[in-house]
Amino acid sequence: MNDNSAVLMLHGLPAAWDTVTAALVSPSTPPPVTDESVSEALTLLCKKGLGQYVEGWLLETLQVSLASHVAPEFWAGLQQPEVETQERARAVALLEAFRTLLRRLQPFLCGLERLGTWQDEGRAGLLGPGAHGLRERAFSIIRAILLFSPPPVLQQRVLEFYSRTFSVYMSQMEEQIEADDVAAESNGNDTCTGCAAAQQVCWCQDALEQLQEFSHILSRLQLLERVSSEAVTNILHRLIEQRMEQRCRGEYERSFLSDFNEWLEQVLGWLSRVFASEVGEAGSNTLPTDGMLDYIGSTILQRWRCHMQQFFCRIYVNMRIEELFSIIRDFPESTPAVEDLKFCLERTNQRQQLLTSLKSAFETRLLHPGVHTSDIITVYISAIKALRELDPSMVILQVACQPIRKYLRTREDTVRQIVASLTGDTEGCSELASELSRADPVTLETQDSEDEGSDPEEWTPDPTDALTVDKTGSKRRSSDIISLLVSIFGSKEIFIDEYKTVLADRLLHQLNYNTAREIRNVELLKLRFGESHMHYCEVMLKDVADSRRINTNIHEEEARLPEEEQPSVPLSAMILSSEFWPQLKEEKLELPAAISKSMETYTHRFEKLKAMRTLSWKPHLGSVTLDVELEDRTLTNLSVSPIHAAIILHFQEKGTWALEELSGVLGVPQELLRRKLALWQQHGVLQEESPGRYSVLEKASSRERPDRGIMLIDSDEEGDSNTTTQSEQREEKLQLFWAYIQAMLTNLESMTLERIHSMLRMFVATGPGVTEMDVNELQAFLQKKVRDHQLIVSAGVYRLPKTTQ
Amino acid sequence: MKVKIKQWHGVASWLWVANDENCGICRAPFNGCCPDCKVPGDDCPLVWGQCSHCFHMHCILKWLNSQQVQQQCPMCRQEWKFKEGETT
Repeated sequence: MNDNSAVLMLHGLPAAWDTVTAALVSPSTPPPVTDESVSEALTLLCKKGLGQYVEGWLLETLQVSLASHVAPEFWAGLQQPEVETQERARAVALLEAFRTLLRRLQPFLCGLERLGTWQDEGRAGLLGPGAHGLRERAFSIIRAILLFSPPPVLQQRVLEFYSRTFSVYMSQMEEQIEADDVAAESNGNDTCTGCAAAQQVCWCQDALEQLQEFSHILSRLQLLERVSSEAVTNILHRLIEQRMEQRCRGEYERSFLSDFNEWLEQVLGWLSRVFASEVGEAGSNTLPTDGMLDYIGSTILQRWRCHMQQFFCRIYVNMRIEELFSIIRDFPESTPAVEDLKFCLERTNQRQQLLTSLKSAFETRLLHPGVHTSDIITVYISAIKALRELDPSMVILQVACQPIRKYLRTREDTVRQIVASLTGDTEGCSELASELSRADPVTLETQDSEDEGSDPEEWTPDPTDALTVDKTGSKRRSSDIISLLVSIFGSKEIFIDEYKTVLADRLLHQLNYNTAREIRNVELLKLRFGESHMHYCEVMLKDVADSRRINTNIHEEEARLPEEEQPSVPLSAMILSSEFWPQLKEEKLELPAAISKSMETYTHRFEKLKAMRTLSWKPHLGSVTLDVELEDRTLTNLSVSPIHAAIILHFQEKGTWALEELSGVLGVPQELLRRKLALWQQHGVLQEESPGRYSVLEKASSRERPDRGIMLIDSDEEGDSNTTTQSEQREEKLQLFWAYIQAMLTNLESMTLERIHSMLRMFVATGPGVTEMDVNELQAFLQKKVRDHQLIVSAGVYRLPKTTQ
Repeated sequence: MKVKIKQWHGVASWLWVANDENCGICRAPFNGCCPDCKVPGDDCPLVWGQCSHCFHMHCILKWLNSQQVQQQCPMCRQEWKFKEGETT
């Protein structure tokens, strides 16, 4: 002991310094100097106040050596030109580069360890951050110098290496799973699925071993997170995307959540290998207990699991958002996709994206003139169904479908289509009909009342993207399809009116007094719209039943008459309560005498049956079944309209008619008559022998072929409907206001459109028409009056023309 | 050519043979029904007074019931008497 100190004293400080530094940077075993002598030297240094510099010196040495030798060597090793070509060689080079790196840094690390231990023990009064702190500092130096600006080659290599090991791992996992299936083995392919090399030179096993070592080195150098995270993130992203693209795109009828969860667990297995040594390292260094070790490992993996779930959800949502239009179109077959999307959407913040995308999808794919109204309605219905699954708060539905509703409002036939599908008339959308007959319907009366009896505990606030401008925001949003459709127009009257028209048309067309289906529909609609609104329809149906009774009555009476008094024309009638039916089209038509006479007789009998009441016939309405017997042929059971029947009856009396002559007899304008004649020309009964002259074709053989029938098709569109159209009715309603408008303008001289509108609303608020009249409609009406010179407009102000005042 | 009509389905609307369109009491059309009724025609008939004014039966009955002293036609203030044989 004394000797030693004597030696030290002899050599003095430089020797002590050398001893200590040598002990720190070349810890080659066996140590060149004994522990004691190092201690002595250290004590000496400390005594002279040099102890604190040891740490500085060591870190400096590390930095210098790293910058001058180690880092360049590492990069050179990574970029060896001869390994560029082969993947396997690249993997080896990568590993080798890191091995060398570790080897070069090992002495410093051990030295640091030692110094740290001294500091921890407080040997010779040495102060410092201790083993842990020193290690941190050293590693930050390594990271700083080595990875300050790493060339992209490192990430490339790491990415490639990880991708490879990943595919190796996954293929092994699959083999394990498939091992049960014996047949699965021989796929005749001689390349390994894992490493994509030929079976003979498969390096799967190597790759996995390399992976292990690689991870180990990285974690020793505390570079694992730095080097791997980006690559792993990248790979996971790409793979999830790839897998989703392959499996899920366009496939809506299957749920992929559990599938993907399983798969993600497998991926996690691979991740656990990548980060396994991190786990081990952390355990052996600081946390020796096994329980804690597992805990650390699982926190890292747990973090990655969360990451992956997040990736998955985001990617899935992105894809489904893109496809949402198709998903909606395919609903309810696409229910699984919607459910998946719902799950994922709750975990990502992409509602806004979804809304924007869906809205624009609707606008580009649906809301243009090329799409039939009924198709738009069908998609809207699907959207309602799908989106109420997706978002029970209905906010998405409400916001995304706003454009559809707006657009439907501009289509003229929307109401008619909706009503038609409500009553199950159209083939395409039967949903509405079944929706209507659904048990427990939502009455339109009560749907917007505040106290729905729902538990206040279950109340959830609206999502932040709810429409704040919407006044009904506070109310419960309805998800009922029919209410939603009806509310497009803001009032149900318009639907009821339309239904009345449809019902009237139907009843006037079939004329067989069979109303079972209509009665059912009216009853169902009553549940929805309330009894009072369907009152008119009930009277209409009752009229049909009454008509049948009256007919039977009259026919029985006729049957009792003697032969010669029997009516020549079997006539039955549909007797309407005019106040309760929609306005019927007025058309003039003079029926042949025989028919008029029958009608008169019928009227007399009716008058006898119902005192003080009479009938007013609508000669142009109804239908006629007749046979036409010609010389060489007979057309039987033709069902035609009264005007057609009247025409052919006239030809019975006289074989040839001039158009104007016939028009005079029938009291029908020539143009209309010409169109009606076309039907008989098509049947080959009449021909136009010279322009404006029609005659009977008694013999089919004399008919010219090919005939011009194609041109002559009875293109009488409004012939389909016996009732005035919606717009005509509106027109009439507005016409009512004309008197008011005139009066106002006489008193106030000039008024703006808005003024007129608000005045009308104020004074004429009782009529049913006012609520439906919007400014645009009024403007159109006033414009028409301006065109007719009944009104003058200048600078947005309307006034009456001077002459009328 | 011979045309044989097998069946002619006509359409007609019924109306009261009255000298006015609206009931003088409820102002609703005769061909409709009084405010208390739902169905026109048989269920809400018209009645004529000897003064030749007519009303919905329900309307005039209600009116007559509300008159304590003398029963008068609300239109012409003559004593109200039902015209025989023309009520339904």
